[in-house]
Amino acid sequence: MSIVLKLWSLYVRGTNRWPVIATIVPFIPVVALWSIAANSGMFPRAFFPAPADVARTFVALTYKGILPDYLQDSLIRLLTGATIGVVLGIPLGLLIGSSKWAHRVCWPVLLFFQAIGDIAWLPILLIWFGFGLTTMTFVIVYTVLFPIVLNTVLGVESVHRDLARAAQSLGASRMRVLWEVTLPGALPNIITGLRNGLGYGWRALIAVEIIVGTSGIGFMMFDARRAGSTVEIILGMIVLGTLWYIVDAWILAPIERATGRRWGLVTS
Amino acid sequence: MKTLSLRNLQKTYFDPYAGSQVTAVHDVSLDVEQGEFVSVVGPSGCGKTTILNMVAGFIPYSGGEILLDGAAVKGPGPDRGVVFQSFALFPWKTVLENVGFGPKMRGVPKADRDRIAREYLELAGLSHAADRYPNELSGGMQQRVGVVRALANNPAVLLMDEPFASVDAQTRMTLQEELTRIWQERKPTVIFITHDVAEAVFLANRVVVLSKGRVLDQIKVDLPRPRVWDHLMQDETFKRLSAQVLQMVRSA
Repeated sequence: MSIVLKLWSLYVRGTNRWPVIATIVPFIPVVALWSIAANSGMFPRAFFPAPADVARTFVALTYKGILPDYLQDSLIRLLTGATIGVVLGIPLGLLIGSSKWAHRVCWPVLLFFQAIGDIAWLPILLIWFGFGLTTMTFVIVYTVLFPIVLNTVLGVESVHRDLARAAQSLGASRMRVLWEVTLPGALPNIITGLRNGLGYGWRALIAVEIIVGTSGIGFMMFDARRAGSTVEIILGMIVLGTLWYIVDAWILAPIERATGRRWGLVTS
Repeated sequence: MKTLSLRNLQKTYFDPYAGSQVTAVHDVSLDVEQGEFVSVVGPSGCGKTTILNMVAGFIPYSGGEILLDGAAVKGPGPDRGVVFQSFALFPWKTVLENVGFGPKMRGVPKADRDRIAREYLELAGLSHAADRYPNELSGGMQQRVGVVRALANNPAVLLMDEPFASVDAQTRMTLQEELTRIWQERKPTVIFITHDVAEAVFLANRVVVLSKGRVLDQIKVDLPRPRVWDHLMQDETFKRLSAQVLQMVRSA
C-alpha cells in the first residue's frame, strides 16, 4: 500500500517537474500491448511488426537522411499552405463578420464550397495543375482557409457591440476599432480556427502526398506499401501523431492560454 | 452657459416584422448647462436609452437636432464620453491601458498617457489595480474603471447609461457616493440615465422625467453636497423630492 502511494507521489512530483512525463506515461501500456501482440506470433512478423522493428527503421531512415528530408518537405508544404490560408482567411473573416452585406452575399457561397471537401477537388486540380506543388498547395490552402474564415466570422460576431461603441466614443476611427477591438476580440476564435485548420491541413497533406507526392511523409507511407514494408508505414503513422501532438501542445495551446484564457474570454 | 442642447429630438424606427413605423422618441427638448449633473428617469420603454444613444452618436436621429457647443452632433466622438451598463472594458487590455485608451487615440505618447491614466486611477482609488485585467476585478471596480476611462479623455459631456444597474446594492451606494465626490472635484457635465428614482435624485442637480418619448417634467435638486447616503436617507427634502419624482414616474 505505502509503496503504491510512494510511487504515486513520485509520479505527481515528477510530472510537475517534467510535464512531458505525463504525456509519455499513457503510451506505456499502448506500446506494451502492441509489443505483446507482435511477439506472440499470432501474425507473421512482416505483416505486423513489433515496436523494436519500427524503432530500428526509425534510426536507419533518420541516419540515411530520408526521414528528415521527407519530414521537412511535408512541414514546408503545410507551413506554406497555412500561411497563405491565414493571410487570406483572417481579412476575409473580418470583412464578412463586420459587414452585414458581405455576410449575406458570402455566407451561402462559403458554406457551399466548404462542403466540397479538399480531396474532392483533386481530380480537377490534377487536370488543371498536374501532379505538382501547385495542386498540393491549393488543397492545403483550401483546407486551412474555411475553418479560419468561419471561426473568424464567429469571433467578430461574438465581440460585444458596446466595446466598439466605447472605442468610438473614446476617439477611435473605424480602422482603429478594427485593430484595437475587433481583431483582439476575435482572436480566441481565430486561434481555434487555426488549430482546426492546421489539423485538417495536416491530414489533407498526407492524403495529397499519397496521390500526388514525390516526397513527404505521406509519400513515404504509400511508397512503403508498394514495397510491402509495414514497418515504414507504421513509422509514418507514428510520426504523424507525434508531430501533431507537438504542434498542438507546444505551440497552439500556449497561444490559446496566453490570450483568451488570460482575458477571461474563454472559460474552462 | 449651455453645453448640450436637444431640440425637438425625434426617433422613429421601421419595424420590418410589423411593417410599420414605431416612434421611440416623440419630441424631446432639453438644455444642459456646463458642469451640470442631469439625471433622466422614466419607466422602461420611455426612450431614455434611445436618447442617450443618439447623443452619443451610436444611432442616427430622425428629426430635430442635437447641438454640442453649438455644433450638430454626427456619429460618435471623443467629445462625448460614454459609461455603459455592460462596463464595456477591453478584456485584452490592462486597467491602465483601458484608462489610457482615449489619450492613445489622440496620439498622446505612452509615458504621458500612462501618467494621465494613473492620475485618474488614483481619483477612483484604483491605483493598486493598474496592471490587472478587467476580468480579475469585481463588478464595482470594473465600473469605476469605466467611469475614469471616460473622464480621462476629458469629454465635453459624460453620458452614463444605467451604469450601476448591474452591481449589487451595497456597491451601488458606494459608487453613487464616489461619483458625486468625483463630480464635485472635476465638475464634468453629466447626463445620467436610470430607472432608479432615489439614484436620480441623489446624484443630480436636476431630474428630468421622461414618459412615452416626451419630457414629462423637470425638478431641480438643491440638496447640499457632499451627498452621503447616511445623511440623505433621513433628509426631509430628499424624501420629498424622491416621492415627487416617483409619483411622476409611476403616473407616466
